[in-house]
Amino acid sequence: MSMIRRALVALGIAGLVAAVLRLRGTGGVPPRQGGWRELSGPELR
Amino acid sequence: MRVGVIGAGAVGARLARQLISTDEVDELVIRDRRPARLEEVVSSLGEGATADRSESSAPLEADVVVLACDTGVHVALARGFLGRNQSVVSLSDDVGEVRALLELDAEARERGRSVVIGAGFAPGLSCVLAAHAAARFDAVDEIHVAKTGTGGPACARQHHRALGRMAVDWRDGGWVQRAPGSGRELCWFPDPVGAEDCYRAALPDALLLVPAFPGVSRVTARVAATRRDRLTARLPMLWPTHPEGGPGAVRIEVRGRQGPGRGVVVLGAMDRPAVAAAAVGAVATLAAARGELRRAGAAGLASLVEPIPFLHELARRGVRAAIFCGEGS
Repeated sequence: MSMIRRALVALGIAGLVAAVLRLRGTGGVPPRQGGWRELSGPELR
Repeated sequence: MRVGVIGAGAVGARLARQLISTDEVDELVIRDRRPARLEEVVSSLGEGATADRSESSAPLEADVVVLACDTGVHVALARGFLGRNQSVVSLSDDVGEVRALLELDAEARERGRSVVIGAGFAPGLSCVLAAHAAARFDAVDEIHVAKTGTGGPACARQHHRALGRMAVDWRDGGWVQRAPGSGRELCWFPDPVGAEDCYRAALPDALLLVPAFPGVSRVTARVAATRRDRLTARLPMLWPTHPEGGPGAVRIEVRGRQGPGRGVVVLGAMDRPAVAAAAVGAVATLAAARGELRRAGAAGLASLVEPIPFLHELARRGVRAAIFCGEGS
């Protein structure tokens, strides 16, 4: 019984940590669209 | 101008062609340990090119000597030619060799000559692109290099060796060794190469980039590899090497401070590695012969060349750089 309780507590703590990290994360969303274009004009001056 | 080229493989032969088609190069002397290959390359180059059957290390009258031969002999050759007061351009991409070549810096400075190290695709074009991207930052924090593709058989063998040896990364002011084949990262290369899984390997890019960017905190290099490449990396090569690889690409990600914020710039280039390496080697050789390098000494292209004129000259020779523009980036 105590083992189940410990497992539930561990899961709860892991969930809390994950939620904090998810909310505090500041990395933003990486670019999902776009592409490569040749360097030209002012980019090569 | 008289230029010597040691090695007439996939890169050396193309490099010789790039040089002989330049007006300033009056004479090109080529050496290779394979007589038939040497004859074939020299006859294809036409007037101005001469075959020299002497040992690679024998004295060679030239303003600059280019080492486009197999890795393992570049240090001894560079030391010999530098001792005769000649500038040297090496296309080696072997970590141990690049380290030893960098140690020639004091002697090269003293003699007022240059030892250009890693003047190929990566390192080489990777260093020039990093220097160009770095100009957009007030301070550079991180540089991450990734490459895919191989040139000729020597390049394929080196790719195989690199995947079986420890990687060298620069992290928070110190060198760290990492297991080869670790650190998988999906890298997006310029089209049509696209996305490939890249891994740590014994690549010398960081050794050349760190001295060029004092204060940088992280420099890493990765190479694209298949599961079979990684599995067989510590075995002898089980398959014969191809005469020339397919399309390859290089990708440079630079992170740093831009005014009050931080930014990322991703540059790249796509070409057949042997073709691009030959163009980079030729432009570096001409810069060394003309005295256009930033300083005397032994260093990589990020330390020695002005990136914008270098990239212009490369574009004129068909090797074009690209920038990744992500939406909202």
